[in-house]
Amino acid sequence: MRRVEHIMGFPISVRMDEREGDAAEAADRAFDWLREVDERFSPFKPGSEVSRLDRGELELDEVSPELAEILDLCERYRVATGGAFDVRLPGRGLDPCAMVKGWAVQRAADLLTATGASRFCLNAGGDVVATGGPWRVGVRHPEQADKLCTVLDVTDGAVATSARYERGDHIIDGRTGRPATGLLSVTVVSPSLTEADATATAAFAMGPEGIVWAAAREDCEVFAVDAERKVFRTAGFPVAA
Amino acid sequence: MKRALPVLALSVAALIPVWRYAPSAETSSSSTEVAAPASTPSAAPSSGSSGSGSSDSGSSDAGTSNLVVAGSTLNTEKGPVQVEVTFTGDEISSVRMLQQPNHPQTEAAVPKLIEATLEAQSADIDAVSGATITSEGYVKSLQAAIDAKG
Repeated sequence: MRRVEHIMGFPISVRMDEREGDAAEAADRAFDWLREVDERFSPFKPGSEVSRLDRGELELDEVSPELAEILDLCERYRVATGGAFDVRLPGRGLDPCAMVKGWAVQRAADLLTATGASRFCLNAGGDVVATGGPWRVGVRHPEQADKLCTVLDVTDGAVATSARYERGDHIIDGRTGRPATGLLSVTVVSPSLTEADATATAAFAMGPEGIVWAAAREDCEVFAVDAERKVFRTAGFPVAA
Repeated sequence: MKRALPVLALSVAALIPVWRYAPSAETSSSSTEVAAPASTPSAAPSSGSSGSGSSDSGSSDAGTSNLVVAGSTLNTEKGPVQVEVTFTGDEISSVRMLQQPNHPQTEAAVPKLIEATLEAQSADIDAVSGATITSEGYVKSLQAAIDAKG
């Protein structure tokens, strides 16, 4: 079974094994959850919890457990990156999108698993969670949209890529307040998309030293292309044969 | 505060002996292994060979001048990590850890990275990972082609 829906402004594709009992119902639950996330945590929706917190209509101790968890994760990455990953940039509103996406899509994958799905591949706008592989996951070439720069074998795990090509210089290094331009692309493989996505974004914000930083994180394998088009990868990065 | 990384130029003599992390496990095939790459200077554009006098106090090293750059200290889960990279022209000639977690178990936390060249590939795949693609951009994407394949 394959399905594609557009939520949060990006396409979400799910591919599940037909023989799995209630694949359609499982997919419904996952997509419902992602629509709920969009309503609750989008900084672009005035009525969302994030917007209300940002406007001071909610106090920090009044937020939902889920938003508290998201903000706690954001703070952990901010500290771990020396401020490069920051969802509260000066002069801008609270924007936890970089954290919410990976966290929410991982939860969607967990919902699929909880519904009994044991073999699926979920791709949310370039962030991939795969279960019951082998799945072959390509990483988009940073300069050629129709090409890949590597292919991975993933059995169970998550793959996230942060790069400049799709939306330009949109990732800000919180330490300088300026767009991060030291890398073309960073891909992180980790058991959880929460970790993979936030680590990829954080490493991208940090620039070249982010490669070492990400590679040093537990359970993270890294593939990065720097501004000089040099490729660095960790020894455990699961490149397909 | 504009230049966030403390850029530290030392003389070459001050670097000796340059200690490379895990020099023993040299099992590289065709690719080069770099103990820790790319803590490039924040003034990255000038690290090229045409860099405007980026070889401070290069001292007397056999003609080629070296640039030594210390990255900022990163607080990892395992403790603070700071690398120092020596550039000879464009090339990284050595890398050493100024700070690393000193617990034995955490030595592996200082990553060994394999360096390769960027290549374009196309292959039969199930999904494409990339920077967040917009719904508008999806139509033309590889992932859309995969989804349409059914």
